Parts: sequence; structure tokens; C-alpha cells
Amino acid sequence: MRAFDYLATVDLRQAVRLLDEHGTSARILAGGTDLLADLKSSSSSPGLIIDISRIKELKVIESTAHGLRIGAMVTHSEIMQSALIREHCPALADAARTIGAVQTRNLGTLGGNLVTAVPSMDSGATLLALDARVVLACGGGTREMPLTDFFMGPRKTVLRPGELLVEVVIPACNLGKPAHFLKTGLRKGQALALVNVAASLWLDAAGNIEEPRIALGAVAPSVIRAMAAERYLAGRSPQSGSMAEAGKIAAEECRPINDFRATAAYRRDLVAVLVKRALAQACERALKRQHERGAP
Amino acid sequence: MIDISLTVNGGRHELSVSPETTLLGLLRNQLGLTGAKLGCDVGDCGACTVIIDGRSVNACLMLAAQADGCSVLTIEGLATREQLHPIQQAFEVHASLQCGFCGPGIILSAKALLDGNPDPSRQDVREGLSGNLCRCTGYAKMIEAVLQAACVMRGETEDVDGKSKAGS
Repeated sequence: MRAFDYLATVDLRQAVRLLDEHGTSARILAGGTDLLADLKSSSSSPGLIIDISRIKELKVIESTAHGLRIGAMVTHSEIMQSALIREHCPALADAARTIGAVQTRNLGTLGGNLVTAVPSMDSGATLLALDARVVLACGGGTREMPLTDFFMGPRKTVLRPGELLVEVVIPACNLGKPAHFLKTGLRKGQALALVNVAASLWLDAAGNIEEPRIALGAVAPSVIRAMAAERYLAGRSPQSGSMAEAGKIAAEECRPINDFRATAAYRRDLVAVLVKRALAQACERALKRQHERGAP
Repeated sequence: MIDISLTVNGGRHELSVSPETTLLGLLRNQLGLTGAKLGCDVGDCGACTVIIDGRSVNACLMLAAQADGCSVLTIEGLATREQLHPIQQAFEVHASLQCGFCGPGIILSAKALLDGNPDPSRQDVREGLSGNLCRCTGYAKMIEAVLQAACVMRGETEDVDGKSKAGS
């Protein structure tokens, strides 16, 4: 690795100030699992590395009136183990379990996974399916936006120089929303996703699908919602035929590439099947939830 | 240079490191602990696995400065002078290693697994070791060894040869 300066801080305001001062000549170290691999293959120096992994307020998982706040420095292992996440959005813990291997999950953070913004990330789909929002901080204050607006393309986000992703918020109205995450890779351990899919939905009093969300990873320049499939599904009864049709529509609207892992056509086939299965699982959770609550 | 202090295998160290030194570089080059191996150097192979504050990590993907104030366990700290750790004994009995390059990382991944889950299923063991590559591809005997070591560590068998405490 080329020489660089290193500063670790436990104070969020100091981190933001440092980032503000150094702008593009500074890089943030969260878990470091992507950053270090990147630095080792880079011929240029990052200048200053600001280590934010010890900032306590970025490691909080907390349920508020606003929603479930997950600090950017929460690791994937911590997401898997969090009682709050397992209670309110278990699909997010299921997604975390599929990231890398134990060693990567012990260091890698939710914020790092989102900021790195590789299209095959495993954190994105479930969060999109739960309408998650992100909070960004800079010297001038904070701004909040839907996660859908955060991604701009492969390894590109809306983060400006000097801006830091500080937390992810799952809106209170979506806590407990029936959801399911599925991923297919070339093998089980440590595999990048060929496709990952998350689906969430409610069932209304008549038993029809309400507010369906379908999110797809690794089949577009960034993690995307399958909006046409969602529109098709809204208001329909949860029959296996309609879920299969939603899968076909999602396969049409995604934009996968051919690469050495799989052809675009194979990825589309995977989307159709995984969307159908994820929707079926989310429906099953929704029915179970209704049953537990004594609804008809 | 950055001044750090950390505990490695129970011993305190006050050290000065350059910012770009990885934890693996510190262990191998400054402390002479060459059990953790430099394999892929990008976090895929797990040959550099060490345990930091109870969690397994790839030492090649961590800066030494990040380990300031932490407690590190490497393969050199697992056995006592008198006795191998039960996982090491099981690996010996089951002839689980061939060339041995992946061994320190695999054994520490197994330790981290069993510390958190003393009674793992075969599938749990497979998942627990999925961050470690063995290019001799001798995984089956490693999995046997870890399951056996788990029995020993739970006190269900006297030793890794499988003799039961009850003598049955």
C-alpha cells in the first residue's frame, strides 16, 4: 500500500470536520474490508484515512418513533445478532448472513456496504423493499433521503465530497412488514450474488396484496425496485399465478449484464424464479401474522 | 508513525507502526508470529485469520492501528507448553491437514465458532469454516475434527480418540 496518514476518531463531529477539511484527499475507513483491498491494488495514495469504526453513535441500533435507526458502523454480524432487527425486520438479518464469510461480516459494516455501492451488494435489496431512508452528514448539517435516491450507478452514490453516511432508518410503519430475502450465487460460501431479491407486502382486510415492494440486486447498475411488477401485484389476491407473473414482469424490467459468472438471460431466469419465491414467502409470513393476531 | 498498545496471546505490547502496516504485517514482521499466513491478501482465503476481542477477522484486511487497545489471539497462543488445544489435538488425530498452510486460520475459525456455539451441527461447522480455503481440498477431515473437538470441549468425551467418560 502507498503511504498515507491515518487518524482514528471517536467523535462524529470531529470526523465530519476532518472530512470537510480534507475533501477528496481523505477516505473513510469503516470496516475496511473493501477499502484495504482497494488500497492494495491502487497506485495512488489516499492521502488521509479517517477511521470512524469506533464512533459509538454510529454503532447504535435503536427503535424510535421515527423508525428503526441502524448506525452506519453496525457490522453485518451485529445485524445478524440484533434482537431488534430480528424482531422488526428479520429479512435484513437473513441478508446479512449471506455476506462474505464470518471474518468479513465481523469487520464489514452496513454503511460501508451501501457506500461502496457495488450492484451485487446484499444489504441493499431488503432495505429498498422496506422503504429505508439514509441520513447523510456534512459540515453544514444533515440531509435525509430514500435509499433508492442514494445509488447512482456501479460504485457511485450521491455522497458529495466531505459528506458521510451516518445512519439508515427503516420507517416505523414498515417495522414488522412481512418480507423475504433470497440470494443465488455460484456456491454457498463467500459468493457474490448472481441475483438477490427482496420482497415485502401487506395483506389488506380482504386478503389482497397491499404496498408490494420488489427489490433486485446484481441485475442493474445499482440495486433497483421492480416497479412494474409491484404495480401489477398491488390489489391482487396472493395466488401463485400472480406471483409468478410478477416474477416474469420483474425479469423483463431488470437490466442484467453478461459476465464470467452468468449470462444476462440466466440472470433474468433467476429473477423470475426468486421473485416468485420471495413473494410466496412474504405472503406466508403475512398470513401467519394475521393468524397470530386473530384476524380472519 | 502511530503508537499503539495491544495484547497478543496474553502479552502486552507497546509498538510504533506506520499507518499502512496491516495487522498481519505487524504480527509476522514486527512480532515474529508467522502462524497467520499471507495468502490472497484481499480477504478471500482466510489464511491470515486471527481472533480479536473474541471475533475472527482477516488480519490482512485490518490496519495495525485499528487493533489499538485490542486483544489478539493467534495460533501461537492457542496451545500451552504442556498441551495442545482440543481442536489442535483433533486435527492431529484426524490427520486433517495436508500441506498445513491453511491450518492456523482454519483452527482459529473453528475456535471462534465453538466459543459462540459449543454444539454446532455439521452445517454450522461448514458455514463457520466457509471463510477459509484449503487448496489441498481436505475439508471433510477438518469438519470431522471440529465436531470431535466440540464433543471434547463440552466434556462428553475424555479425549479426541473418542473414549467416553462413561466408558461406553
